Amino acid sequence: MAGIREQDQYMPIANVIRIMRRILPPHAKISDDAKETIQECVSEYISFITSEANERCQKEQRKTVTAEDILWAMGKLGFDDYVNPLAFYLQRYRESEGEPASVRRTSSHAVPHPPLPLSMLQQQQQLPFLSAMPVSSIDGNNNCYGFGYGFDFDQGFYRDGVGGGGDASSSAAAFVPNFDHCFPHLKRDNSNM
Amino acid sequence: MRQAGAYSNLLCGGISGRTGPHSLPLARIKKIMKNSSEDVKMISGVAPIVFSKACEIFIEELTRRSWIMAIDGKRRTLNKEDIASAVIATDIFDFLITLVSNSDATDDATVIQMETI
Repeated sequence: MAGIREQDQYMPIANVIRIMRRILPPHAKISDDAKETIQECVSEYISFITSEANERCQKEQRKTVTAEDILWAMGKLGFDDYVNPLAFYLQRYRESEGEPASVRRTSSHAVPHPPLPLSMLQQQQQLPFLSAMPVSSIDGNNNCYGFGYGFDFDQGFYRDGVGGGGDASSSAAAFVPNFDHCFPHLKRDNSNM
Repeated sequence: MRQAGAYSNLLCGGISGRTGPHSLPLARIKKIMKNSSEDVKMISGVAPIVFSKACEIFIEELTRRSWIMAIDGKRRTLNKEDIASAVIATDIFDFLITLVSNSDATDDATVIQMETI
């Protein structure tokens, strides 16, 4: 006899089914064991990503697993198609919560940096022009999530200047934070030399 | 277009409340994160929010791929074998292979035990 399922180690089945129904045609049926299997897969996914993210934290001697760690782990484990839409979602969430820019800057930090001038902050917090980036990507996963933007959580969006983030192979590179814009005074120094 | 559904959800979906309109319960996500390994110490407040969206995308992708398997088998009911086939066919789902094949093994063992009694 199978043991009693501990429901609190899974996502609620009603929520899972609702999300599945977005994908399936109206006439489709879902067997009970399929529902349970998806439930289990979701929990396994969370554990899988979190373990990897946590390892990175430990290596860097940080105590808190951050959203950035989670996205890094997803990129590393092959879910790089998820990274850009999630980064965008997180950006929207932070803006809708009315988090002041200074709080966003200091939260979940891996690398300290000097405060940005206000003009640069304003520039960075503009929403990206989503229509500028073609959505189709030709990769095995048949996923259309590429937006062509890298994401630095603490300072909002930056454009991926290294070529489109629309395909899976480059989006991992796009995710590496680019801190060049933190030190504009140094750049100017270099050009004056 | 299927992707449009996921996309428009991003734009007009519920980001208005901290706990409210996320599709998946944040406290439960946090619990699963803590259970993932012994030494998970602290979790930032937004990490479960990222996961709530990520799990939606994950469920959608797994469902989509599994449904393709059901159609291949000319069925209208999505069942566990379809999920197992989708997992095997997708590289990034390798971490699920044990999960989907273990379930099958357990069920088979249970059936055999019941038959011998």
